[in-house]
Amino acid sequence: MLKVCKYTLIDLARNRFAIGYATLLLLVSIGLFMLEGDPTKALISLTQVVLALVPLLALVFTIIYFYNQYEFTVLLAVQPLGRRNIVLAQLLAITIAMLIAFLVGIGMPVLVFAPSAAGWTLLLTGAALTAVFTAIGGWIAVKNRDRARGVGIGLVTWVLMVLVYDALLLWIMFAFSDRPIEPVIVPLAAFNPIDLARILVMLKIDLAALLGYTGAVYQQFFGSVGGMLVALCALILWVALPSWRAVSAFASKDL
Amino acid sequence: MRTRALIVILLATQIAAHARKCIVGPQATRTIKEALALTADCDTVVVKSGHYREGTITLERSVVLLGEGWPIIDGEGAGEVVVVKAPHVTITGFVVRGTAISNLNDNAAIKCISVTDVTIRNNRVEDSFFGIYLSSVDRARVEGNQVIGDPATDENSRANGIHLWKCANVTITGNRVEHHRDGIYLEFVTDSHITRDTTAFNMRYGLHFMFSHRDSYTHNLFHDNGAGVAVMFTHDVVMTDNRFLRNCGASAYGLLLKEINDSRIERNIFADNTVGILMDGCNRAAVHANRFSNNGWAVRLFANSTDAVCESDTVSGKTSDVTTNGDLVLSLLKRNYWDRYRGYDLDRDGHGDVPYRPFGLFALVTERMPYAMVLSRSLMVQLLDESERLLPSLTPKSLEDLSPLMRPPHG
Repeated sequence: MLKVCKYTLIDLARNRFAIGYATLLLLVSIGLFMLEGDPTKALISLTQVVLALVPLLALVFTIIYFYNQYEFTVLLAVQPLGRRNIVLAQLLAITIAMLIAFLVGIGMPVLVFAPSAAGWTLLLTGAALTAVFTAIGGWIAVKNRDRARGVGIGLVTWVLMVLVYDALLLWIMFAFSDRPIEPVIVPLAAFNPIDLARILVMLKIDLAALLGYTGAVYQQFFGSVGGMLVALCALILWVALPSWRAVSAFASKDL
Repeated sequence: MRTRALIVILLATQIAAHARKCIVGPQATRTIKEALALTADCDTVVVKSGHYREGTITLERSVVLLGEGWPIIDGEGAGEVVVVKAPHVTITGFVVRGTAISNLNDNAAIKCISVTDVTIRNNRVEDSFFGIYLSSVDRARVEGNQVIGDPATDENSRANGIHLWKCANVTITGNRVEHHRDGIYLEFVTDSHITRDTTAFNMRYGLHFMFSHRDSYTHNLFHDNGAGVAVMFTHDVVMTDNRFLRNCGASAYGLLLKEINDSRIERNIFADNTVGILMDGCNRAAVHANRFSNNGWAVRLFANSTDAVCESDTVSGKTSDVTTNGDLVLSLLKRNYWDRYRGYDLDRDGHGDVPYRPFGLFALVTERMPYAMVLSRSLMVQLLDESERLLPSLTPKSLEDLSPLMRPPHG
């Protein structure tokens, strides 16, 4: 398994797209920090970029890479290797590669320009998002034989999680605005990894204190050890579940 | 004119000739009470450094009580410490402490009741219930005092640092009030001036006044108070050159204006507050040349306020600029500088050519449903905000700055 992971990583290191991804993130983050005098404001803008771009690119890249590697994967499958190990190794390799690209592209500038608690939170949540969406991408790619269909489903997933989910949340808030739905809204929002990441970063950019009562409530929830554990569990679940689905789908797939 | 001046001087020297000086200290009269018993009007009692435990000291003649080397007057928790019941009293240079905490009496370190022309200058009031308390006083001066409470006490055993009730023509200047309930509290106080004071870390409001007309508040610093500064039910208030900093919390404001008519609020700085200014039922307020930075909401302008004019203000911040809670806004925003204004100025007259609408759709949503704040800065919310900005349909149309400044008006 480690060997498969290693060779996939070596292949990824030469992948033009992966290098381009790192460069793009680097340019965006340095550009933002240079343009905006106040590092906190730059961090807010960067958070928005990270929350939209990182899931999209992680998802699409993983899906395309899986399709490109299809023949190699078939070759591996005829070797005396466990099928589960093959998929896990590939997922692990892609996650590592994407994480390295993310840390180079976003991590370095953030640590140089804004090495604050908020900066660290952005890095951690961004890394978690990378892992989550790589896993989801793997699942989609294994599940669908057709490449175009796979990429399409990936894009739809992204739109669902970035836009539609929030719109739904807002609709729920409107629909039930005369009921005490506050306790439901926080866990609902935290269920979406992108929203969770956004809330965690925003809470650290000392907005919480400025947002009055609601801010205080969220701070109380996520600031506590229990809240952090819930957040962490949610993220782990979001990585584990799609990975498990991908592995089991590949195990019974007719190659 | 000259003869009148001469008469005044002559009279003054006459009085001075009569006035005696009485010294309290280890070598002279031992207690302040004994010394006071010997005095007549216009005498001076000089108190040397030492620790005076005499229960409640009552001043019933017009004397100057002068502390040298910070003598400590300790009430030892017996009630009031110094009570002034005569006009023309000056108290200066003392450390006063040891009032009793009571829910029945407003025990104060220095209390003046129904007198005129009192001066309380350069004293240190420590760990007391009420600090300096003026009740029915005309023409008083409270200057350069440090009123510092005990940070460990809970709200029920704290009272106001400087407390004025039914006074007129009072000047409160250069004082510092910390760790009390309200820093400076005024009720029915008219024609008074509050300048260059600092109130900080008070449990409730830094400055709190009600029914106090024609007062001015200038060059004060209010920071880290539990709920900021609250002013209510008052007309003709002037608040200029103050700083309101770091008043954060669920119901905290830099400045809360409730039922305030004809006020002027100029050149103040509001930074890092949950709400910079909250205007509730505030008529004809001139909010001019203030600076707002990093507030959760710079201005919350309730729809029951009419004819407020915000002009030449500088607004920069991370979240909302101006919000309101109704559809009809009868106030005016003009020529302000908005950090987030993205318009252009083709004729180069310094004013943007397209109006700035500070009240976004998301701000409107959170005004109605505060918990929607969980979606703040989400991509979807920003798209909604942007579309609303292009085609305003839900936000009140009248809340806009028709001529926003391209550059901050000062510096």
